[in-house]
Amino acid sequence: MEKLQNCSQNGRVDLLELLARLDNDRELLRDLVTIFKEDFPRHLLALQDAVAGQDMKQITMVSHTLRGMLSNLAVTKAAAAAGQLEELARSGAGASIPETLAAFEREVLGLLPEMETYIAEVRS
Amino acid sequence: MKILIADDEAMSRRLLEKTLERAGYEVVAVENGRLAVEQLNRPDGPRLALLDWVMPELDGPGVCRAVRRNQEQQEQSYVYMVLLTSKESKEDIVTGLESGADDYLTKPFHVDELKARLRTGERILHLEGRLVEAREMMRFKATHDALTSIWNRGVIMDLLGRELARSQRESGCTIVLLGDVDHFKLVNDTHGHPVGDEVLQEIGRRLVLSIRSYDFVGRYGGEEFLMVLNNCDPESAEARAEEIRKAVSSRPIPTATGPLQVSMSIGLLLSNDWGVRPVEELLYEVDAALYVAKAAGRNCVRRARPGVPTSEPNVAADEAVHRLR
Repeated sequence: MEKLQNCSQNGRVDLLELLARLDNDRELLRDLVTIFKEDFPRHLLALQDAVAGQDMKQITMVSHTLRGMLSNLAVTKAAAAAGQLEELARSGAGASIPETLAAFEREVLGLLPEMETYIAEVRS
Repeated sequence: MKILIADDEAMSRRLLEKTLERAGYEVVAVENGRLAVEQLNRPDGPRLALLDWVMPELDGPGVCRAVRRNQEQQEQSYVYMVLLTSKESKEDIVTGLESGADDYLTKPFHVDELKARLRTGERILHLEGRLVEAREMMRFKATHDALTSIWNRGVIMDLLGRELARSQRESGCTIVLLGDVDHFKLVNDTHGHPVGDEVLQEIGRRLVLSIRSYDFVGRYGGEEFLMVLNNCDPESAEARAEEIRKAVSSRPIPTATGPLQVSMSIGLLLSNDWGVRPVEELLYEVDAALYVAKAAGRNCVRRARPGVPTSEPNVAADEAVHRLR
């Protein structure tokens, strides 16, 4: 638990909040991270494609999904950035979207390796 | 209790699934709105549902609308639906609730809050179950005879009218049988009314067992039973009536004071013998045929035929027949 608390303070995941929400079920946390690792890259790619194609409906849908996934893992800043993308796409403010996507990408850069660390911590 | 989770996002689904299983629910998880509607519209489907707002094929509010529409049409049990949403504006919440959702929960949810809201849903479903049970009981009491549990007089008369109209429309034949328990007054006077009630209950049961599932039997009066056999072959009408008579008298009826041998006299009428006549007139004729069966020694069947003088209304004869019963 000591190690996990440190991870939470240093990383992007509010691990304490997350574990509290999961009733300290580490097995479930591992399941969720595994699903995240599988699904996140696919959704990120779909978002990038949608932004490149200026497909507002698709941006809204994918960023909504990403927001939900990130919120579930208490990756709060990245979830907020996904939410911002969703709002921009829904309101049709296409001009600000590439810049917001870049901010989102910065937020999630290195997230997967960080998740790997959590899985290892949880296993130990 | 069975609960449906509808969420296209695998992580949310897994999170909900695990949380709810741990809380003791039997979880059914689907990944889009169409599958959610399919599950919830099944007669044995979950009555509690957690629906993500944004889903492919059909969104959460769309599921709520489809389920509520089906409930109205099919008179299905109530489904308590909670929308899961990251939408926080008042307009969105109003839209969700007006689509037929009972509650909403903002994502990411807190486990204790989720469980508390589902318990609210369970309380409402439990209350709904009790109301439906009470309504069904009232419906049954309003349509069935309290002693024998077969159709009561009002319903059997309606059914008779309906079947006669149908046989006229389709040029078919409806058999009308009016049966009266022989010497029933003697049963009551000798063995007491509770035994008389036992006899009537058993006769009702035997009559139900001796007709087809789509025929009807009701309690017409004290010891009188009216049977409506629809879509019948006129050639076999008398044989059918005989079978029913024998079903009553073939073996003694067990009662609190021992087995009692009971019989039934039956008046028989075939709708196609009489053409288009008011229901009351046909009932008068079948009643007259029943009187004839009584006068012929009871425990037999007599058929009402147009133009046969035995069915002529006659006050003195009526009084004599009443004495016969």
